[in-house]
Amino acid sequence: MKTLCDRQELQDAFAVVSGIPPLKSTKPILQNVLMRAADDGVTFFATDNEMSARSALSSVKVSEPGVILLPAKEAAALLRELGDKTVAIQAKDGRCRIECGGGAFDLLSPDASEFPTEPSFTPEVEVEVAAKVFQAMQRMTSFAVAREETRYAINGLLLDFVDGCLRMVGTDGRRLALAYANLPSNAQRARAVVPLRALQTLAKAVPGDNDETLRIGFGKNQMRFTVGSIQLISQLLENRFPEYEQVIPKAAESTIEIDRVELERNLRRVAILASDDVRMVRFKFSGNELEMTAESSNVGKARQTMTVDMKGKGGSIAFNPDFLIDALKVCELDVVRMDMTDGSIPAKFTLGESYCYVLMPISGT
Amino acid sequence: MNARDDSPNAAGSIRVLSAEVVNQIAAGEVIERPFSVVKELVENSLDAGALRIVVELKDGGRELIRVIDDGGGFAPQDLELAFVSHATSKLSVLADLDHIASLGFRGEALASIGSVSRARIRSRRPLDPSGHEIGCDGGAIDELRPSGVAPGTVVEVRDLFFNTPARRRFLRGPEPERARIEELLARLSIPRLDVDFTLIADGKERLRLPAHETLVERAARAFGPRLADHATAVEVRWDEYRVHGLVGSPDLARRDASLSLLWINGRLTKDRGAVHAIKAAYKPFTMHGAQPVHLLLLAMPPSSVDVNVHPSKAEVRFLEPRRACGILHEAATQGLRGHGATAVAGGAVGVAEDKPRAVTGFPDLPRDLFGRTASPSPPAFARSVSEARVVPAAAPNPFARLTERPRFLVVDDLYLVLEIEGGLCVVDQHALHERVLYERLLRQHDARDEVLVQRLLLPEIVEVTPTDKAWLLEHQDELAAEGFLVDDFGGRAVAVHGIPAVLRKASPKRLVESLLAGDSEGSARPRAREAVVERFHSMACRAAVMAGDRLGEDEITALLAAAATLDHPHNCPHGRPTVLRFSAVELERFFKRRTGSCGVG
Repeated sequence: MKTLCDRQELQDAFAVVSGIPPLKSTKPILQNVLMRAADDGVTFFATDNEMSARSALSSVKVSEPGVILLPAKEAAALLRELGDKTVAIQAKDGRCRIECGGGAFDLLSPDASEFPTEPSFTPEVEVEVAAKVFQAMQRMTSFAVAREETRYAINGLLLDFVDGCLRMVGTDGRRLALAYANLPSNAQRARAVVPLRALQTLAKAVPGDNDETLRIGFGKNQMRFTVGSIQLISQLLENRFPEYEQVIPKAAESTIEIDRVELERNLRRVAILASDDVRMVRFKFSGNELEMTAESSNVGKARQTMTVDMKGKGGSIAFNPDFLIDALKVCELDVVRMDMTDGSIPAKFTLGESYCYVLMPISGT
Repeated sequence: MNARDDSPNAAGSIRVLSAEVVNQIAAGEVIERPFSVVKELVENSLDAGALRIVVELKDGGRELIRVIDDGGGFAPQDLELAFVSHATSKLSVLADLDHIASLGFRGEALASIGSVSRARIRSRRPLDPSGHEIGCDGGAIDELRPSGVAPGTVVEVRDLFFNTPARRRFLRGPEPERARIEELLARLSIPRLDVDFTLIADGKERLRLPAHETLVERAARAFGPRLADHATAVEVRWDEYRVHGLVGSPDLARRDASLSLLWINGRLTKDRGAVHAIKAAYKPFTMHGAQPVHLLLLAMPPSSVDVNVHPSKAEVRFLEPRRACGILHEAATQGLRGHGATAVAGGAVGVAEDKPRAVTGFPDLPRDLFGRTASPSPPAFARSVSEARVVPAAAPNPFARLTERPRFLVVDDLYLVLEIEGGLCVVDQHALHERVLYERLLRQHDARDEVLVQRLLLPEIVEVTPTDKAWLLEHQDELAAEGFLVDDFGGRAVAVHGIPAVLRKASPKRLVESLLAGDSEGSARPRAREAVVERFHSMACRAAVMAGDRLGEDEITALLAAAATLDHPHNCPHGRPTVLRFSAVELERFFKRRTGSCGVG
């Protein structure tokens, strides 16, 4: 194998896959990235057996096609440090030689024939969504995903495609974030729980200002995401995601509209005095006033009032302020709508045109 | 097919065992070694009302075990049946099982002993002009004969296991047997201060416990003066329940549980639920895995406890486990509490469903566990009367009497050496600061007037064993009072609807598992609290100054001032010591100022 690549493009394409190999593995060959040079270009492929990704490189001159393995960590670091415009990569006596400017680096390269092959994948349902929209949905929901290992089914984001609407749901059992997008598709219902790591890898690979279209293929146990020349295939988590629709309150006794910027600022201030053991801020609505209070017996207490627009009888409800701040950070609207009934029932926040957030209160027994 | 029905012997290989063999097998269960013989015999003597018991051993009991008592003795007709299986003068009908207040009740002890040794009983009732004797040689019972014997009973057991060589081979040497028997007598003697116990081994008196000494004096003789010196006497009464005894300081804690002793109605028990309740009180002050030292005696109505669940009587079943465990926890807590603390023990037991804090047998636990946060008067919902007496603990707060600007020396940016009343001490700055922060968090937690629950949007379904599930549901209210909302979910599952808000990010499933980590007996409240308090441990540890952090003089002064208000200044929350003390006496001893005549001055 012998190639000459554009350095920047090479670095970008390699970075898409170089995060996938496991840092620790009993199968060291997985810590490599497979580079395949063919007449029509170069592709990189890496896998950790749970997910795999492929990226491609077009500004390249292939003088001798072939396949070679590159140690992911070292090669990625090396490519980042190279300065010249072009980089030559060639296979030579079980080594991979990278030449750039006056530098020549020989990396040990295990036998590529033992590297796992790319998984074959046939989608049962495929939908298309603007990559930008998908990434926004992911930002709105992924922070709510459970990080604990025990609730396996909610350690990922649910992608639920139903009636032409793609919903993304993240929850850790205490709060739930739901974002959705209507898609011009006649495909039937599809549903999958995707590990957070796969989506994070995807988000990193696709720049935010990307105008491309993301194709999402739902398979039986796998999922495929395709944007431009990048393809990512991930195993799915056990599909026992809770019935999220049931926990979203359908009706509420009070509906309150609150200025988002003011709410977030006030809440951050008050939260400073929420005690360090129980993080709690109490919201009290009466008339058109919201009073937020927090107390820490070691530090002091806080009280902040602000004007809101309320329909209904109001009442009192307490939350972990961090849970609400997380969501306000990604809120798109200037005015937040909150639906609540009382201090023991979840409150629903409408934080975007197609984004809602359900938060379970803290209360007495 | 009829062969078996018609004649059990027809098959040739299956036969009904002779009574003798049955006794030998039964003996194997009860009589394992000389220790077990002594145990059965001394318990019999105590049941017979003896006030003086002498145990004599030869060759660690292999050659001879003799137990002499001055108790009520056998009537001749009873003596005749003494070696017959399941003969006991203590139980005649099943209904009696409800009121077992005596130590031995299974009625197989003498028969078992007789079947594996050459045994002889001589006995005389105090008012009879003369006595009788009967022998049993490997199960063959003699005829009853008149005998000249003092009032009381003498049981002699010779050549133990002479006819079961397999068992004889497994006996340990005379010393270990003797030691075990000495320990046994020590344990049997604690509930019976009115009885005089003597142990003679190979002609030498090894233990003498005279009657009518105080519990402390007897404990000193039976278990050594160190235990008695470092223990606090306690007494707690909740209606007809009463606990008294000695609560050893956490420093005495051992690696084995051999001095974690609890008697229920005079019977030593290892009942795990009860033991756990006591251990829970020690938890903040002892290292993980350390076994506390305590001699506690619980007296309760015999009808409220079933002792007949375990052949060696090591377990009991309570009618009201919360209450029994509650009072034990309370007694241990009181014993551990610092000097001068006045007990505030509400005994609201099994009442007050309307007050979530008060649903359990530990009505006031979260507040009075640490004296300082306790309200000065018993809380309003304490409905039943309780009395408590606390003898000042051996170890007062060493920081309490420091001057406003104490002098100290900093070693290694970790240890503070300072002068305290009657000596000097070395402080671990991290451990002490950790304790300060921990108690602060605990007070903050206990000062809240409601238990805050983070409710779950999606109840977490946890699969548990049927026993665990029953336990969780049975203790639902107690768990809720600490912030765990658990409900039935059908099948083997429970649904967790809420967790204590202090445990913000904890996994509900892990929390339930930690609640179940103990055993299925016993109280839920202390365990639920442990799970909560555990978080304060780690919060305090992270926030505390570290070894190597250089503290300014002001910071150290402030730390010591904060330490002066601690309830339990001696250990960090994980149980590691915070302070090492050298009393003036110890210093004098070390420098030989006390002994010599060589011109000390």
